[in-house]
Amino acid sequence: MSAIVTTLEQRIGRGATTQEFFVNMGPQHPSTHGVLRLVLKLEGETVKDVIPVLGYVHRGVEKMGEHLSYRQFVHLTDRLDYLSALANNWAVAKAVEKAAGIETNERIETIRTLVAELQRIASHQLWWGVFGMDLGAFTPFLYGFRDRERITDILEETIGARLTMNYIQPGGVMFDLHPDFQRKVKEFIAYFRPKLEEYETLLSRNIIAQERMRGVGVLEAAQAVALGATGPVLRASGVAHDLRKSEPYGVYGKVEFDVPVGARGDCWDRYWVRIEEIRQSLRIIEQLIENIPEGKHLLVKPAVRTKVPEGITYSQVETARGVFGVLLVSDGKDVPYRIHVRTPNFNNLWAITRIAPGWRVADLVTMISSLDIVVPDIDR
Amino acid sequence: MGLITEKLPALVEPVPGGSVLLSSLDAVINWARSNSLWPLTFGTSCCAIEVMMAAGAARHDLARFGAEVTRPSPRQADLLVVAGTIVRKMAPRLKLLYEQMAEPRYVIATGSCAISGGPFIYNNYSTVRGADEIIPVDVYVPGCPPRPEAFFYGILMLQKLIREGESLRTPGVRRKPVLAALPAGITIEQIQQELRELLEPQGGRR
Repeated sequence: MSAIVTTLEQRIGRGATTQEFFVNMGPQHPSTHGVLRLVLKLEGETVKDVIPVLGYVHRGVEKMGEHLSYRQFVHLTDRLDYLSALANNWAVAKAVEKAAGIETNERIETIRTLVAELQRIASHQLWWGVFGMDLGAFTPFLYGFRDRERITDILEETIGARLTMNYIQPGGVMFDLHPDFQRKVKEFIAYFRPKLEEYETLLSRNIIAQERMRGVGVLEAAQAVALGATGPVLRASGVAHDLRKSEPYGVYGKVEFDVPVGARGDCWDRYWVRIEEIRQSLRIIEQLIENIPEGKHLLVKPAVRTKVPEGITYSQVETARGVFGVLLVSDGKDVPYRIHVRTPNFNNLWAITRIAPGWRVADLVTMISSLDIVVPDIDR
Repeated sequence: MGLITEKLPALVEPVPGGSVLLSSLDAVINWARSNSLWPLTFGTSCCAIEVMMAAGAARHDLARFGAEVTRPSPRQADLLVVAGTIVRKMAPRLKLLYEQMAEPRYVIATGSCAISGGPFIYNNYSTVRGADEIIPVDVYVPGCPPRPEAFFYGILMLQKLIREGESLRTPGVRRKPVLAALPAGITIEQIQQELRELLEPQGGRR
């Protein structure tokens, strides 16, 4: 093989350089996970610089929020990071509850924690499948979706939707848990634990996957913090920052779980952190599922237009991708004066500008996939 | 007979008796086309997860309908599934993608956003109110996002539409017949002549 393939150096001579040129990757590209456009500055096949160009699915969610009541705004957050819709809903609900002084009970918080953790697993399963596909292996995609469908079924029974949930609202949750919820979740955990080992055998211990991940795209801890990266991207770089631990909300303060932290910040660490987070989520669910407290599931009237006193409120939650924050500026009416969402993917995306230079285009695909970006969340 | 079997093998369908069934050129071509749709890998937001990924995965399995060969290049695809919101910045790109696809090309608009703008209609400055403002759409699949089953129904509708060679917009009225490009040197008259010769000995039964 090496006899056939001649490098540029062999053909032209040592010290030869090629012309730098720009190539568009996207907006329609199978491995940019939607309509992200990356302008690549290339020298041969080596990436010199990456310039993300945003706005191809900018839907003006923040402006729309100024015309919708707080309950109505919840459904728009489903469509930002659609893979962790429940955590996004929770962030809005938390902000409104904090601002308007709405109390919740133990049952509501437990239900919220349970469904959010279930969706975190589903999100990581999808990511695992797509990551495998981006590396060139199609089987993980089928395996990941096979198990994700089980969680989707459980959530669908209670919530009535597969993807855009619109479930957690200020003052409670929209519906009470389905009678089968506990049984099915227990069944799922028993089913999924061995399957997770299968994931490890299939992809994690695959030498080709390891070669493509280890040492590729190292993001230093200081860089990650400077970029504002959060979630698994930050934790893979060695910073143990998890809102569920550092400022517990819901019932995270009462359950035991670990925050997995990477050592180097390469693609492998980001991969490993997410796989480990699935285990921790299973642990959290196992602790909570046995005894869900009794109580009402909704403490306000279903369609009430909550009035929020004048002031500025910020609240944040840890989604599957990082910190999702909601800033409410209220002037005392039932619609916000200004609503701003701080989305994790926007900050995580810029890591690509730091880690990609010097690598090949094929590695760039691995890196984008390891950042696990959702484009509507970036563009809002 | 030689012309059809040697130069146009795709138009011949063997039947159990060993003979050849050729009702009309259109029907055969449309039948073949309807059962081998190649979708373009294109999704802008939430609908892409349901109609492109979950539908293609193990449980729902788009391959049952012959449409699992997703192509990242529009030049190789013949089905554009508009999955997700189209905003003004994306609109010229969507039109470009559509124009790059080889004819005949079909479009399915999935989800509220691609049909009408969906939840992003009111008080909004950036979204396009439906993909059909930019490109012609054959089948609409409602939902936010539609379930994979709903998408399959849309696929089946599109297959029916292709087979009948008509548009759902104007039911009963046939569109311009969908014809494949013929190999060089063969005209449609020659094929018609050969078909006539084939069918004559059987008493003119069609």
